[in-house]
Amino acid sequence: MKRFHLTLLLLGLGTAAHAQQAGSPAGTVIAVPPLTSPDSGNKGNQMLSVGFDISKLIESDLKQTSELAPLPTKREDYYSYPEVTAPSLYKWRTAHAKVLLMGFVQSRSDGRLTVGCYVYDVDKGREMARKGSVIAPSEWRRAAHKCSGLAYTAVTGSPGIFDTRIAYVAESGVGDARTKRIAVMDSDGNGHRYVTAGDTTVLTPRLAPNGSQLAYVSYADGKPNVRLLELGSNQDRPLVGGDAISFAPRFSPDGGRIVFSMMNGPNCDIYVVNAGGGAAQRLTTSPGVDTDPSFSPDGSKIVFESDRGGSQQLYVMNADGTAQRRISFGGGWYASPEWSADGESIAFTRRGQDGRRIGIVKPDGTGERLLTTGSGDEGPSWAPSSREILFQRVDASGRSGLYRVTLDGSAPRAMTIPQDGSDPDWSGVMD
Amino acid sequence: MRKILFVLGVALVASAAQSQLPFLTKRPTQPIVQGIDALRVDFAAQSGGTTVYFGTESVILGAPAKTVLTAQAAWLRHHPDVVVRVEGYGDGADTRDHALAVGARRAEETRGFLVLLGVPSTQVSTTSWGKERPGLGRAVTSLVR
Repeated sequence: MKRFHLTLLLLGLGTAAHAQQAGSPAGTVIAVPPLTSPDSGNKGNQMLSVGFDISKLIESDLKQTSELAPLPTKREDYYSYPEVTAPSLYKWRTAHAKVLLMGFVQSRSDGRLTVGCYVYDVDKGREMARKGSVIAPSEWRRAAHKCSGLAYTAVTGSPGIFDTRIAYVAESGVGDARTKRIAVMDSDGNGHRYVTAGDTTVLTPRLAPNGSQLAYVSYADGKPNVRLLELGSNQDRPLVGGDAISFAPRFSPDGGRIVFSMMNGPNCDIYVVNAGGGAAQRLTTSPGVDTDPSFSPDGSKIVFESDRGGSQQLYVMNADGTAQRRISFGGGWYASPEWSADGESIAFTRRGQDGRRIGIVKPDGTGERLLTTGSGDEGPSWAPSSREILFQRVDASGRSGLYRVTLDGSAPRAMTIPQDGSDPDWSGVMD
Repeated sequence: MRKILFVLGVALVASAAQSQLPFLTKRPTQPIVQGIDALRVDFAAQSGGTTVYFGTESVILGAPAKTVLTAQAAWLRHHPDVVVRVEGYGDGADTRDHALAVGARRAEETRGFLVLLGVPSTQVSTTSWGKERPGLGRAVTSLVR
């Protein structure tokens, strides 16, 4: 049975269907009864306990979305292990659930756990997706986030943002005495940790798509320079040698290259370099400031800001620097663009008489829309779902915080972080 | 000049506190500045200031800035052993990276003007604080060693 099960698990990968579109404003109703376990006795009870925690976290994850509405996870909705692959759907139809998420937790002889999750279309009686993972017991939160993402993707077709990380600059103190440290946390705020010491001013952390590396700007050498930090080993090195000021790094979608800005006398241009090292290649040559480059998701194009025409505007070019053209014409100044993971939109900061606000525009320059009304907003960073944007807001009292705004026009929500924060960056989905 | 007055003020406050101590009757009448601090005071006094200001978003040196930098260049030519760093600052209303670039350009313009007036380019380095330090858009020439 065990072998049969794992085979099913593997065969079923990647069968996510889009059977259930989020139709109602309240979101698609999903049932998340607690994960079961094939284990028996004392072990079985332990596994059921882990399963319940995982299911509660899945419920909590899905509650944060506007597309899914989870029913409360209750212990009395227990089901047996064989039912994981043969669920009785009638019960959930009467509870008006459209989607059902089931699964199991199984202990392994090496002390780790196998967690399997299955998503069913309740009305059609059909499996939509499944996913299995082997984890250390302490990693149960990640297993839950993966199951949440599985259900979210099955329903919406978009990647979930549950198993993702956020990097930002944590700030304390005021004025010249301000201390800045780079912090990394799970997107739900858990696992918060600092990755720089606070003795050097640091700016603009950017996570590699798989979350293993961090490119950032440091004043360690007295002037701003891009550095690359391996998050696993804490090894840290300058991205490029030399004496020039460099900043505004961003990874390519495959993580293999980094685009950034470097000063060349009074000229600020965009360069690209392999993340593994080597010589930087210059992509722009216009006088003035070309900065904040961001790759398109297929890696073929780069959006950036330039004041070559007299004011800051958004431009798109091929990844080799050819075919540069302006795409922002809405009046005001446009800055800090970032391309969404689905390729459909570019988020930006617009500076005008009313201050700095966050907006989006299509890559061809049409469909511009402002999402915030704050006067001190900047630094938009897309969620991997392409449905939400994280940004920095300086409020009326001068304090800087991180906010999330969705594309549906609702008001931005403040993220809970231990202190003031700036320069947020949202990673891709971990794996 | 302002810096000298400030140093004097600090010295006076310090000496006032000292005068209340028993057994200490002699007041120092001159602030004691030595080494690079003395050079800093002299540089600021002879140049008419260490700071030049720019218009909003501007990276162009105005006439008042050029007057100060001309005096700075004269002092630096007479002190070839002294190394300075020009620190450029951006504008607070700007976005993070553009402010960094504008600060760097202000520092480079300032450095370029000093070099134009005969200061060896190896004597002047640059950095940018972008909008990391509050205040007006400016470039500050600091003595490093």
